[in-house]
Amino acid sequence: MKNLFFVLIVVFGFTACSSKNNINKQTPSTLEKKVETKTSKETSDDEFNEDFGDDFDGGYAKVEEVFDPLSGYNRIMTTFNDKVFIYALNPTAKGYAYVLPKTVRSGISNFFDNLMFPLRFVNNVLQFKFQNSAEELGRFLINTTFGLAGFMDPAKTEFGWEQHDEDFGQTLGFYGVGEGFHVVLPFLGPSNLRDMVGLVADSYTSPLSNTGSSDLRYKIPDTQTQSLAIRATSVVNGTSLRLGLYESLKKDAFDLYPYFRDLYNQRRNTLIKE
Amino acid sequence: MKDIFKVLLLTLFSISSLFALQKDEIKTVMSKKIDASISIIKKENLTSKQKGQEIIKIIDEVFDYRKMALISLGRNAWVSATTEQKKRYLKAFEINLKNSYIDKLGLYTDQKVKVVDIESTFTQKSNVERIKLITELIGQSESYKVNYLFYQNRNKEWLIYDIDLAGTSVIATARKQYAGLLKQKSLEEMISEIEAKNNING
Repeated sequence: MKNLFFVLIVVFGFTACSSKNNINKQTPSTLEKKVETKTSKETSDDEFNEDFGDDFDGGYAKVEEVFDPLSGYNRIMTTFNDKVFIYALNPTAKGYAYVLPKTVRSGISNFFDNLMFPLRFVNNVLQFKFQNSAEELGRFLINTTFGLAGFMDPAKTEFGWEQHDEDFGQTLGFYGVGEGFHVVLPFLGPSNLRDMVGLVADSYTSPLSNTGSSDLRYKIPDTQTQSLAIRATSVVNGTSLRLGLYESLKKDAFDLYPYFRDLYNQRRNTLIKE
Repeated sequence: MKDIFKVLLLTLFSISSLFALQKDEIKTVMSKKIDASISIIKKENLTSKQKGQEIIKIIDEVFDYRKMALISLGRNAWVSATTEQKKRYLKAFEINLKNSYIDKLGLYTDQKVKVVDIESTFTQKSNVERIKLITELIGQSESYKVNYLFYQNRNKEWLIYDIDLAGTSVIATARKQYAGLLKQKSLEEMISEIEAKNNING
């Protein structure tokens, strides 16, 4: 069953990518034509051109249509996740933050980050970022020993070695895999086909999940329930360190679903480029 | 004769720098402005509204709200707008942007901001210089990049025309949102919606 789902995702991913490329190929030529005909009319208006300059094609750039076959489902799921955040996650994280001081929560966050080392290491290597993967290895060794099992981050404070977040979704993007189309996952939030494939590989590599425990010996949880519990703790702890961020982002939205979809796409694209 | 020329040139430079932000000053001036904004946010005796007003005073002169508003709306919608609508839109956009910026800045009362670097690029089409000031919000567990993008207006002033928050462009996001709204609504309705949002968030 799981395999069938995976195959379906991959097949959809490829068809989606190819159709998307076609759309991209068509747009520039039509866009250029429009710009040419219109700029000749309005070059007299100097101040006007000054305001737009080169940006977004002198203000003519069309906002690209997003290929979004699941928009109906995605909208409903965005509302669902929003309610989950407002009524369950946020109050829990607030209570949690009230009980535990920030230094402790930030230590727990460091601890989870440190455990996710294999994921970052593998993906940095896969993207030929050898300097980063060497730093990741150094960070893991130092923080696990001198950093008290990862609760502290002496590698950063003493050596200036930053954490280099990379996941399989980014690695696929690095190799040119298109995003396919947008999918909002229940509880997990915005994603797309590429990143969903990435998530499957992430959870296989991650020590905090129990998928693939027969192949990889470093898995911490023995059962699905334990894995969920660890994951929930990590999410609540993470949210407690970012209280107010979601609300602040939401304030800027005129229509929640396309707004979050756009933010997600922009952010992922930046991360892939880095 | 040479000396006179030098003196003239010097005075000319010093006069122009009195009014306009110069390229080599961006880093120092912005560092000061960001530090000042953060210290206002940390003041406990001010209401959030007062803090907002204080911060606006500091950042107002480096933000080009008009340019941001225009590229967010796009040329076609701008051309079709009446003078009255243009005025209302510019005002609504400016308030919206300020509210959003101050709100985000207010999230990080215990964090530090580090000015990392300054980068110069040239636009593809007309080869005009652009400057990116890279800053970092350093939190206890995570840090986010906040980049300020500058262009030079015809008075040779360097002004901010976009902000990049953790890899997402404020203007690109606004552009997408406005385009989405204009698909279902008239410009008039869209402006009213921004104004309504400003009344809630302000």
